[in-house]
Amino acid sequence: MPGALLAIAGAAIAVEARTFDVAFVSDPVGPKALPLLVAVLLVGAGVHTAFRPPVWVRWPSPPLLGKIAAATAAFALYALALGFVGFFLSTTLVVATLSHLYGAPPRHGIPTAAFLAGALWLLFVRILSLPLPIGDLWIR
Amino acid sequence: MGGFAIALQPLNVALAFGGVLVGTFVGMLPGIGPINAIAILIPVTFAAGVPAESALILLVGIYYGSQYGNSISTILLNVPGTASAVVTALDGYALTTAGRGGPALAMSAIASFVGGTVSIFALVLFAPLLAGWAIRFGPAEYFALMIFAFSALSSFSGGSLVRGVASTAFGLWLATIGLDPNSAIPRYTFGRLELLDGMDFVVVTIGLFAVSEVLKLLEDTESGQVVAGSYGRVMISAKELGRTAWTMARGSVLGFLVGVLPGAGGTIASFLAYSTEQRIAGADGRFGQGDMRGVAAPEAANNAAANGAMIPLLTLGVPGSGTTAVLLGALLGLGVTPGPMLIQDEPDLFWGLAASMYVGNVFLLLLNLPLVGVFVRALTLPRWLLTPGVAALAFVAVYAVNGSAFDLALMTLFGVVGYLMRKLDFPLAPVVLGLVLGPLMEKNLRRAMALSGGEWTVLFDSPIALTLWALALASLVAPSLMGRLPRRRIQPESA
Repeated sequence: MPGALLAIAGAAIAVEARTFDVAFVSDPVGPKALPLLVAVLLVGAGVHTAFRPPVWVRWPSPPLLGKIAAATAAFALYALALGFVGFFLSTTLVVATLSHLYGAPPRHGIPTAAFLAGALWLLFVRILSLPLPIGDLWIR
Repeated sequence: MGGFAIALQPLNVALAFGGVLVGTFVGMLPGIGPINAIAILIPVTFAAGVPAESALILLVGIYYGSQYGNSISTILLNVPGTASAVVTALDGYALTTAGRGGPALAMSAIASFVGGTVSIFALVLFAPLLAGWAIRFGPAEYFALMIFAFSALSSFSGGSLVRGVASTAFGLWLATIGLDPNSAIPRYTFGRLELLDGMDFVVVTIGLFAVSEVLKLLEDTESGQVVAGSYGRVMISAKELGRTAWTMARGSVLGFLVGVLPGAGGTIASFLAYSTEQRIAGADGRFGQGDMRGVAAPEAANNAAANGAMIPLLTLGVPGSGTTAVLLGALLGLGVTPGPMLIQDEPDLFWGLAASMYVGNVFLLLLNLPLVGVFVRALTLPRWLLTPGVAALAFVAVYAVNGSAFDLALMTLFGVVGYLMRKLDFPLAPVVLGLVLGPLMEKNLRRAMALSGGEWTVLFDSPIALTLWALALASLVAPSLMGRLPRRRIQPESA
């Protein structure tokens, strides 16, 4: 399975690389060469892997896979919500969610997350003067 | 000596100290190794607005500190954060279970200091020589050198060579994303404006390493909190020090030599140093059951290798490991292009760095020994506090790179990819090396071809290039000749 995926990815990279045409020959190698080399390596590695006995992978139990999926979803939502909700609230929520998945009691997890988000805000915005989003929601 | 004038400026001393301290703390956290510590702290370093040499001093302090922090969790908790620490766990943890964790930590600190000192002197001695030789490198030689770095890391990063090659190819593909610098046509941007500038190595590294680790650590949330036993005083007797003096000396020299070569320097260095000492000790040794030499050898070798790895990075501009690849990315971000001219063009930076490596080494020895108790207490904080805390810091770091939430989405994607790669036994370090070196490799290939008018044989024309191609080939077949190397299996587990 991973072997087939690698080979397909390599093929897709090669197909896309064929469209990298330059009007004039600025250098003999051109923008295609490295992608095509990558494609050859990936297809080669993929075919080799596909014809080998598969590696034995210990996948986590369904409840743990659920936790991993939940954490991933929380990170993705964080990326989506950060600009709108702002750094403080979205960071508090994502850290609290993660703490919960790691087994924190909610009455500890949420205040700790809020404290952490506040501390990071102070460190980055006040001390290092790196701007973090306030959130469009609060500006309007 | 001019280097010390720079290293001893108050700002730089403070940065070296702060780097060592923060690095120790972050490097100690289960599953977060040096590579994560550096990647997460790079945006902070850039934001601090200090001169390039000071920023580099901070990063090298973090590099040092995180190596030692890694030893703390390895010895006390049997949780090696990197492959190179796996060997230390054998005797280090055995000593802890025998109630001698404190002396083992002191041994590790002193051995690291010895390894660091020996290798810094070697660096100062050999780096200018190598740089003088590397001035003759043309684009064809650089291209061959990078092929050597890729093949060595693919081959030595544990697991199968084919998987290592696939990881390298993945990293090289990531490097092609964005506008092609020569022709300005977009490659693999999927129509996203955010990708025109290419993939940022901080986003990729944090996603692949830190986020995937946060996901993977969820797998053993059922095992609960870490409990550190008593470890005794962090002291070592003069007698024991005398007994391990030669072990440390041999480990340092061996570690340095292995570290200069590209590939998984620290891992192979610590493994070789350990097995060498085991052979020398013979029936006299109690290796695996808590022999001090089993801590001294890999720790000296590992630290010496970490410094040895700085030589190709600084004098050739070609790193040989994932961690030094991240350092190269940071250097380029600071506007410093390492290479044979670095020592001549930026003597302050080079000698200041060498001197501050030494200062950082001294700090590590003097300050971390009394502070071990504090670190251990931090380690026993519940995981629900530590891991989400590191995750939040990683998010801010990623956001700070471009001020873009899109990077956070990419980071999440790379987190999932990294998790799957770990599960399927694909090494992660070659991806970072491919991503950072890819553009340089492509540039040199194109330059060589342009100079030769498209004649491919130019790549094999000079004796230097041919030697490098031969080394690349040798590194591909070496592991099967050397027999089985220790498998890079890092299983974070709680005691």
